[in-house]
Amino acid sequence: MRIPLPARVHAGTLAVLFVLTALACLLVSGLPRATQASFDRALQRALDSAPAVQSDLTVAGETRSPREDLHDRAAFEERERRWRALLPAALRPLVTGAGHMSAKTSLTPVTGTGGQTYINLGWLSDAGRRVEWVAGREPGAPSAMRFRGQTIPLFEVGVVEEALGEMSLRVGQVRMLGESDFAAVRITGVFRAKDPTDRAWAHDQDILHVTRLLPPGKLDFEFHTTTLMSDAGLAALSGGARNLTYRWVLPLDGRAASALALPGVNAGIAEFSRLLTLQATTSAPYRLETGLPKLLGDFDAALATARTVMYLVLAGLLAVALGVIVLGVRLLTDRTDQALALARARGGSLWQVAGAGAALTAAAIGPAALAGYALAWLVPGPALPVAHLGPAFVLVAGVGFAAARVALAHRAPLRERRDDVAAARPSARRITVEVLVVVLALAGAYLLRARGLSAGAGQDPFLLLVPIALTLAAALVTMRCYPYPLRLLVRLTARGRAAVPFLGLTRAARARAAGGLPVLILLPALSVSVFAAVISDGIAGTQRLASWQRVGAPIKITSTVEIPAATIDRVRATPGVEQVVTAQTGRVQLGYASESAEAVAVDVAQWRRLLDGAPVGLPALPGGTSALVSPELRGRGTLDIGWQSRVKVTVRGVIDSVPGFRSGGKFLVLPLSVLTRPAVNTLLVKGDVAPAVLARLVPSATVETQEGALAAIRDDPLTGAVRATLVVVTVALGFYALVAVVLSLVVGAADRAAAVSFLRTLGLSDRQARRLTVLEVLPMVLVTALAGFGLGLGLPAALGPGVDLSSYAGDLPVGDYSPDLLTPAALAAGLAVVAVLGAYAHTALNRRRSLSAALRAGELS
Amino acid sequence: MNPTLSELEAKATREKAAFGGDAHIVCDNLVRIYKTEGVEVVALQGLDLVIDKGELVAIVGASGSGKSTLLNVLSGLDVPTAGVARVAGMDLLSMSPKDRLRYRRSVVGFIWQQTARNLLPYLNARENVELPMKLAGAPRKERGRALELLELLGVADCADRKIPEMSGGEQQRVAIAVALANSPQLILADEPTGELDSETSEQVFEALRTANRQLGVTVVIVTHDPLVAQQVDRTVGIRDGRTSSETLRREGAEGEIVAEEYAVLDRVGRLQLPRDFMNALNMERRVRLELESDHIGVWPAREEPSDEQP
Repeated sequence: MRIPLPARVHAGTLAVLFVLTALACLLVSGLPRATQASFDRALQRALDSAPAVQSDLTVAGETRSPREDLHDRAAFEERERRWRALLPAALRPLVTGAGHMSAKTSLTPVTGTGGQTYINLGWLSDAGRRVEWVAGREPGAPSAMRFRGQTIPLFEVGVVEEALGEMSLRVGQVRMLGESDFAAVRITGVFRAKDPTDRAWAHDQDILHVTRLLPPGKLDFEFHTTTLMSDAGLAALSGGARNLTYRWVLPLDGRAASALALPGVNAGIAEFSRLLTLQATTSAPYRLETGLPKLLGDFDAALATARTVMYLVLAGLLAVALGVIVLGVRLLTDRTDQALALARARGGSLWQVAGAGAALTAAAIGPAALAGYALAWLVPGPALPVAHLGPAFVLVAGVGFAAARVALAHRAPLRERRDDVAAARPSARRITVEVLVVVLALAGAYLLRARGLSAGAGQDPFLLLVPIALTLAAALVTMRCYPYPLRLLVRLTARGRAAVPFLGLTRAARARAAGGLPVLILLPALSVSVFAAVISDGIAGTQRLASWQRVGAPIKITSTVEIPAATIDRVRATPGVEQVVTAQTGRVQLGYASESAEAVAVDVAQWRRLLDGAPVGLPALPGGTSALVSPELRGRGTLDIGWQSRVKVTVRGVIDSVPGFRSGGKFLVLPLSVLTRPAVNTLLVKGDVAPAVLARLVPSATVETQEGALAAIRDDPLTGAVRATLVVVTVALGFYALVAVVLSLVVGAADRAAAVSFLRTLGLSDRQARRLTVLEVLPMVLVTALAGFGLGLGLPAALGPGVDLSSYAGDLPVGDYSPDLLTPAALAAGLAVVAVLGAYAHTALNRRRSLSAALRAGELS
Repeated sequence: MNPTLSELEAKATREKAAFGGDAHIVCDNLVRIYKTEGVEVVALQGLDLVIDKGELVAIVGASGSGKSTLLNVLSGLDVPTAGVARVAGMDLLSMSPKDRLRYRRSVVGFIWQQTARNLLPYLNARENVELPMKLAGAPRKERGRALELLELLGVADCADRKIPEMSGGEQQRVAIAVALANSPQLILADEPTGELDSETSEQVFEALRTANRQLGVTVVIVTHDPLVAQQVDRTVGIRDGRTSSETLRREGAEGEIVAEEYAVLDRVGRLQLPRDFMNALNMERRVRLELESDHIGVWPAREEPSDEQP
């Protein structure tokens, strides 16, 4: 049997609950999707932007005996099918596209060149698709010829255009290869890449370009090129006499990658590699060549931090959202209390009563959770378990709280509160628990700082628990302690003549622990949003710093050759340009040994003016022959450098980096005047001018702007996701804090109305009544706002070693949190003001209640 | 003829032997203490009460004397701290929560003073009466009884009206119907006419009397209302958590109502003297008793100094 509790009687409260729950479920279910989608995008970008040779899976095998040679395309294709069949399930969705196969010899010397020239034999399965023939004809089938009394194979090959000039090859030429096992190549044609940007060329750079190597201790370059032969040529190609490597490239499709599947992919790669070694024979070992594990490892490191921050703020958001929902449920159960008490007294069992309370709550929360969950499907992104569990958890927590609260309230059929029986002080048990929580939180924070983050351990639950414990501890301390200073204030106001401050503060100081729930909600709401704002600010600031570090000026023009003075004048004369600083960079000899360093010659004083207001800077350099050096050149006193002429410079300071030029290694900054004839190759420009204009003026140069660098850093999907989530969470928490204040006011409305009505019978005016309510709420809001503000500012410092955000800030460590207190302070202050306004509005609305009704309401409650 | 004090005493000692033997409600030395962390309030301090089946009894007393606590105990909503409380042979102290629920469902019905507290405002009268039946899991066919009850109490026309659409008297009469819904043996009413004018009070009291006479239900009314107190057969006075006096009414030879007030003598012989008697004779701290052949004389202490007298 159910107890009738018609929803329409409590429509208002149910609507509030519905909105709160739907919003919470949408956030809890949608935000992880959005962040996960951005993680996926970031991974896809990381895979796409990496060279194919690093991201693709390449099966390579050397053949060492003629028996293992593959002499036709069919044999290659058969092997490729075999490798694809071996691919573990986790890799299959990623390896979908058609790959290519190659056979290439390496270090195949041209006979009689003394190891100076190498013409390797090569075959590409998809040469027809990737190259076009610009001279001669495509190579045909191999033949044989006599050389030094032996019959040797004669391959018809094509060479890349570049090799004609660099290696003096020409069409029709026949070159002898090998020093003991000879072969011959006839160059029948010249090719070029149809599309040099094709990712597949990353695997075959040796075919596309001539390699020049300077072996140690030699003065002349070695030249290597790899030729292309036809399918028929394979028949004569044998690993018996050459270093012959077969490769099967299985291209990775970054678009199919998902950050969630990372561990599976890593395991899949290891498994694939193991399976390949099992396929190998002694004469033809196969192995997997790929840079994927490192690529994924780097990405994973960045992802781990993003996840930590996400989970941190999401956990905070969930806790606050739940708190507000619980407050709403409390309001609902308060409103149904009388009906349930009557039903209980008239013979309702505890199950019936608790069930009725839970059912009414579920009537609002259930559809709301479903609606929020359904709306979250509109958010693009993969559904993590938390996307399903979050709404379920909200639902269970809300309904469970309703059932538990109703059951506890109506455990005994009659609840008689006697005014003459009151608890004198909090129980020892409760104080013990509270002290324990505070001690545990502080100890946890200390341990986290002492230990730092357990690197590579994936998610660190400790990192998530400590902030929660700290917030709880701060809330408990606030709740316990805030009446004390208030009582002092009350004593002061008691001496004054005005009654309202005294009454309001007294009521605030004597408020029962019922005021605890709003504190428990407001404090985490404020601390998490301030934390998010601080982190967000920290990232933004560091991103800006990183962009300045990267460029070193609003606009930097770097040329490979000297920029003529006339061009510099034209740049200066360009409308919008305010200041131009010239600089020369180069590699200089240190002393007379082989030690060298990167040098920047620039007018430091002008540069410093240029950097005025930027987050980076340089120490002043007196001029003359003084220099600033990197830490590695510290303590050398005077440096004797060779740059155009011999110059002696005195070390005047040590700097970690030269913005826009160097951030590590050996470097020095000297005045431009040191150089006898400066050849300016870098211009540092300040002003409002389009980079394209400058690029046209200095055709030999690349133009970088600080804003462009900043945009590039910000454009990273991972960074964008972190910042967007922080903003959404901050806004949501602000909203929740507001709702918490208003709801707690509504929960205590009957009680307050009775008190105010009583005071109004004694002559309290309407205005005074409003001020009384505001004064009653104000101390709690103010103290909580202050505590939350402090906690939010302190959290990044407390968690500092645990949260490494450098990957979102252009690889600079985000350490200097919150030089700017404005945003968080505005947040806290705004919230406090809005809360107080809410209190004011609430009383103003309540004015309509008649005195007698309020007094009666007070009597009944 | 009036019973003499000795006869009453004899009666009291007789009942002592089988205290509350077959009575409907038996309270013996009932104690209820409210306690929270060291603060205690003793609401009932050894109350004795015996009510027979089918009686219509009023309980009167000053505010804070323990009337409502007694009613809560009898209705099974509250558990006494010590003593004996038995209703219809069921011991209210040793009852399990399950038995207590069954007791509330089928043995007792009650009416609170506040009309709004008795009824769910969003249900109509019939639905309100059916609610206890549904809670008790009564079969659907028995629910026709709701209309019968409303008819019996003269509020049949209210059956389909919502509670706020009724007058206070009608609401209280519907509340009586609700209390009667599961055919209880006992109805407890806590100031049922406290918020009503005298005419409406009369109607409500009449409804209670109807329930008592026609359904044979024992009715206990806690009241301040002299109108009600004067119309019942027996009025029990409570002072400081103890029964202090009883007023019995019976019809005299000429059909007039004769009311006689008695002091209550408990099982160990304690007696509360009415306060105005004590004040009139300036009795304080100790009195002198003298046993005569047919009564006991109570005298102010002779040696008491009289200089404090005005």
